[in-house]
Amino acid sequence: MTKHDSRKIQQIHEELHSHLPPEPALRAKALESLLVEKGLVDPQAIETWIEVYSEEIGPKRGAKVVARAWRDPAFKALLLEDGTKAIAQFDFVGHGGGHLKVLENTDKLHNMVVCTLCSCYPISVLGVPPNWYKTAAYRARAIREPRAVLKEFGVELDGETEVRVWDSTSELRYLVLPQRPDGTDGWDEDRLAAIVTRNSMIGTERDLGPGKGNG
Amino acid sequence: MDTIHDLGGRQGFGRVDTHEKEEAFHSDWEARIYGTVRAMTRPGDWSIDWFRHCRELTPPVDYLTRNYYDQWLQAYAAMLVNSGYASVEEIVAGKAAGPAPDAPPPMTGEFVRTTAKNVAIIAERDCETPPAYAPGDKVTVRSAGAPGHTRLPAYLRGRRGVVEAYRGTHILPDANALGEERAEPLYTVGFNAANLWPDAEDSRDRMYADMWESYFEPV
Repeated sequence: MTKHDSRKIQQIHEELHSHLPPEPALRAKALESLLVEKGLVDPQAIETWIEVYSEEIGPKRGAKVVARAWRDPAFKALLLEDGTKAIAQFDFVGHGGGHLKVLENTDKLHNMVVCTLCSCYPISVLGVPPNWYKTAAYRARAIREPRAVLKEFGVELDGETEVRVWDSTSELRYLVLPQRPDGTDGWDEDRLAAIVTRNSMIGTERDLGPGKGNG
Repeated sequence: MDTIHDLGGRQGFGRVDTHEKEEAFHSDWEARIYGTVRAMTRPGDWSIDWFRHCRELTPPVDYLTRNYYDQWLQAYAAMLVNSGYASVEEIVAGKAAGPAPDAPPPMTGEFVRTTAKNVAIIAERDCETPPAYAPGDKVTVRSAGAPGHTRLPAYLRGRRGVVEAYRGTHILPDANALGEERAEPLYTVGFNAANLWPDAEDSRDRMYADMWESYFEPV
């Protein structure tokens, strides 16, 4: 049984702070070697996790979901009603996908997601979060001065647009559904998905268009 | 607890690095920590909330200056020591002095590929208490903090908001971090920017957070 004792954890942290090797790469190597030697991790599982999140699970998944919502009104309705059920159609349910809520941008509304307390993020559709999402600066500022942060990302909002910032304080995870840009009529799902950026699904980018995106 | 992690609305931080390259890991060691931590053996009572609490207890100077995955490393190192799987000396040396007693066997690469990568955290549980609030209801957030882990951010304490949605009954993090799994009604609550911040950028903007029922002042 784990003893859930805050004071003891704090004492251990102080010891670790004083004694861990100064370089993060050395700390990482020491921990990995120790856990492998003790049989607490299987090296093959380490490689597989890295591979899965470097290649398979990333923002291209979210882009597919957005592209389908742009083309298929019934799917969009389901996505807004029950995000987890909708992404199950793609087999995208996984870490951070168990309670997925989708927030739709409109002409007068811009949604933006933050986790002020840690780093909660819809990993199963966007992959691991970017470093900036986890920095103190973004976590502190996005909830208080979202317009200033958006400006740093190159997003200029007019006075007519309301900003909604969603702080991910529970196991619910939020994904922004960006607006479909003009000039994409008749595009198929793959072509649309290629212009959907990761940041547009976090809400730090707003106007998508041909020539932008992951593709 | 009022530890360093509770950053919402804190001032004095600089610009956000908006030009970061879009790749999952920016160095080999970030990837190694990620893989190691995800693959690590963990007993059933190492909940997500216990992990969060252990990370929140990181010394403030480390919390604010270390890379995210490096913080993971330190939090899991503390959990390993606390559970008796390793000593600080072993973690520092990267060399075992003895076995880890009673540790569950680690997951295999095959298990990651076929199963673990598709596992979602489902936080919804049965709860006998029916929800006391409905969308549109006004609520006042508790003004007191919490003695241990909580998901009630300081910037919302004592503030008035409106219930945007009822989300079902979810595991209460405050109890779960102590090894006690029980559920409470969960709501998404909206707040006017002007009601939260003296320097609100636009009075029409709104901030939302998910809040358990015990986070509200009783009516």
